[in-house]
Amino acid sequence: MMTIIECKNVTKSYRSKTIFNELNFTIKENSLTGIIGRNGVGKTTLMKMIAGFVQESSGSFEVFSERPFNSLKVSSNSIFVDDLMPFPQSMTMNDILNECRRFYFRWDHDLALRLMNYFSLHPQLKIRVLSKGKRSTFNAIIGISSRSPLTIFDEPTTGMDAVVRKDFYRALLKDYIAHPRTILLSSHHVEEIEHLLEDVLLIDNHKVLFHDSITALQETFLHITGKEQLILKHISREDIIATKETGPYVILTVKNQLTDDTLEAMRKDNIRISPISANEAYVALTQRTKGGIDDVFK
Amino acid sequence: MLETDHSKPIYIQIAEWLENEILEGSLSADEKVYSQYQLAEIFNVNPATAGKGLTLLLEKEIVYKKRGLGMFVSSNGHEKLLAERTESILQNQITNLLEEAKRLQIDYPQLLKLIEKAYKQQGGNI
Repeated sequence: MMTIIECKNVTKSYRSKTIFNELNFTIKENSLTGIIGRNGVGKTTLMKMIAGFVQESSGSFEVFSERPFNSLKVSSNSIFVDDLMPFPQSMTMNDILNECRRFYFRWDHDLALRLMNYFSLHPQLKIRVLSKGKRSTFNAIIGISSRSPLTIFDEPTTGMDAVVRKDFYRALLKDYIAHPRTILLSSHHVEEIEHLLEDVLLIDNHKVLFHDSITALQETFLHITGKEQLILKHISREDIIATKETGPYVILTVKNQLTDDTLEAMRKDNIRISPISANEAYVALTQRTKGGIDDVFK
Repeated sequence: MLETDHSKPIYIQIAEWLENEILEGSLSADEKVYSQYQLAEIFNVNPATAGKGLTLLLEKEIVYKKRGLGMFVSSNGHEKLLAERTESILQNQITNLLEEAKRLQIDYPQLLKLIEKAYKQQGGNI
């Protein structure tokens, strides 16, 4: 499998603020990876470094085997989509689509027009008149239609309503199946994108906290539901990542490292063991030691 | 088709869905199984995830691979599934039933009577 992005010991800081400290990962060709993390961990900075918009402070980045900053190869083979794509305000959407057609060598103009029609965007309108949601939809259409070998979406659904968001993700998936390419997609709504993803790159505390398949993320933890005293006969307190009380029972999130014997013994004791969603796993991994919001009100 | 609480990994849900298709006879022996791309479309998931569901069936030898052509239902796939489900799922439910009976202090003869009654209500002959 070919590597498209290789990130070695990359450090990034703005003045004295460290964003990334010794970041290491690789992204393989034709995979769809979710870049996830809490607000302010640097998802956007990371994706901008990959696209060559921002320079790393130290370490090395290779995208299509070149340093992305100032690379024409990277710029012609990639697209970075967010809600602020800086198109000239006086251009109509039609003008912009025609320019894209000239620039992106894999551009599918027919697809772009069909998507414009489906999402009720009138090509003759100037982009400055678009609402936030419509603007994001237009940018997303460009992102899909460009078919760029490296397509980066930074929070692409900002402002879109629920129906449009769902349609956009479906369109992205269908076009990805028909025309495989490397896609990076950031969102803090993990539950909204988890079905789409093959891999997850989870950024936390200036580092890569987790980078593996979405299935592996989900299988990192288990939920255990039952009487706390009873559960603690089988596992020790150190195994517990998170606790949620619901009436007489507790729902505990634990690392999926228990032996079959322990699991069997718990089942015999009427303790329910169930899988956890990828989103819950993400929340458990990025949980702060400060406890939950409930603790603020104690 | 998919569980709404999506707590069970999607690839396992896809494998189970395919198993049900085989058990119900919608897919018969030596018939071509949906490709990972078709499954990705149907379930609206990443093709890699759908592929994991197929791999699960391949490992259990419920389907087999023909190079360049895709996956097909094994000739004994149906039997294998029947045996496996009888073994695991029915066995599991019987264990649950026995535990529940114990909790409710129903002894074995009483339990048998209840099963007979339910069976007859569904039109079965004993």
